[in-house]
Amino acid sequence: MIAALRKELLLQWRTRAQAVAVFVFGATALLLFSFAIGPSAALRRYAGGFLWLGLLLSSTLTLSEAFHSEMENHALEGLLLLPVPAHVLYYGKALANTIQLVMLGIALVPVMVVLYDAGTTQLLTILLIIILGSAGISAPGTLYSAMTSQARAKQTLLPLLLFPLIVPVLLASVKATSLAILGDPMDEGRSWIFLLLAFNGIYWSLCGLLFDRVVED
Amino acid sequence: MTGGYVTGGWSFVWAAYGWTALVLLSYGISLILRLRKSR
Amino acid sequence: MITENHRFPRLPYLLIAAGVLCLSVGSYFGLFVAPPEHYMGEVQRIMYVHVPTAWNALLALTFGFICAVVSLFKDDLKWDARMEAAIEVGVLLGFLLCCQGAIWAKPTWGVWWDWDPRLTTTAVLVAAFAGVLALRHFVDDPVKRATWSAVAAIIASADVPIVYYSVRWWNSLHQMQSSPATVSSQFYLPLRANAFGILFLMTGFIMLRARIASRRIATELAPPPAEFLGEMA
Repeated sequence: MIAALRKELLLQWRTRAQAVAVFVFGATALLLFSFAIGPSAALRRYAGGFLWLGLLLSSTLTLSEAFHSEMENHALEGLLLLPVPAHVLYYGKALANTIQLVMLGIALVPVMVVLYDAGTTQLLTILLIIILGSAGISAPGTLYSAMTSQARAKQTLLPLLLFPLIVPVLLASVKATSLAILGDPMDEGRSWIFLLLAFNGIYWSLCGLLFDRVVED
Repeated sequence: MTGGYVTGGWSFVWAAYGWTALVLLSYGISLILRLRKSR
Repeated sequence: MITENHRFPRLPYLLIAAGVLCLSVGSYFGLFVAPPEHYMGEVQRIMYVHVPTAWNALLALTFGFICAVVSLFKDDLKWDARMEAAIEVGVLLGFLLCCQGAIWAKPTWGVWWDWDPRLTTTAVLVAAFAGVLALRHFVDDPVKRATWSAVAAIIASADVPIVYYSVRWWNSLHQMQSSPATVSSQFYLPLRANAFGILFLMTGFIMLRARIASRRIATELAPPPAEFLGEMA
């Protein structure tokens, strides 16, 4: 499993130019949101929403590329021939995707602070939310990425399948982030974090179980 | 807007029933047509 | 491999006829016989068709989930055909549910959409299962399509309670209006008649749709025509 993760991270490091491009895409998305709203107090109030929408849109770019290297030269079959269960491949990929999204999230936070006047001292809380939310997007995202890489019209299918599914992640992450930015007098953020934990618990196990069936021949 | 009396809702009622009937009827017809085509 | 045997080939048509009959009776009573409700006036009548649609949409998608699970364990693609049918009918009923909900909400709350947790969950559900149907459209190999869409259906089904609870929690913080009032206990007849009506109709639809699906799958699995074999032999 560590080897799988190391392989993924090595692959990502080698294609780090792509990560920069995705960051630029995300930052541009945040910029466009601010143009859509205009200079108003609403920007600060909904900064959490914009951040997570931007992150979600960017995730479709990273996730659709996730199995790109496996699709070339039938690398996927080669990996499956190894004497390790397929879900090891899944968890390695999903973890790597999560790390990628977390890095992107961390990079977008200063953009959010600057554009939306959304400064906050609760940086650790926001880091936790970014980690949990990214994990929530990556778990089903990696599974669907494996499916759609082998199907037609993959660019359209992946967001179409993924977005309805991660509505709870979006709700919880946006709510928790907004509370961290705007203040959380009644400590509601805790419940949203529990929701994120529950979602991750369910989906990391479910998708790992089902991955075998998705890549079998 | 809880409580109080909602007046004149008949157009909405007809809209709801009519749309439901239309959708179900269209789907049923599409099924029969597709079934004929697949024979 | 797909098996197809119809013990009662006419059954779906009988069910559809029975469904239309029950719906006519139920709608007649709901529209003309039942009294207007105290607070909501005539608009309450929408509930006599809205609640049965809700029950049956849920039933169809639950059956779809069961077919998905069975489809993963058995080699017979007839469960895949049934799943496709159940999900398509379920998405249709779910879409109808959202429309009825909006038509109910406008005169009652003044807005077309009030973020009611049940309807919002239905909307997300419709999107998720429509995605599963789209997935089926873009995969050509019948066996792969069966496995993948079953997996997608299971994942979507697992999300339903999570979406419901998160939307409910999210909604309650904004102190939104309460969910549509249930039907007054005085008039169960139109409700029950319509419920059976849509149930029969839905079952008939699913059976017919499953036939269409299994015929298509059989065509995809069939060996090539004899001419080609003759050339290679």
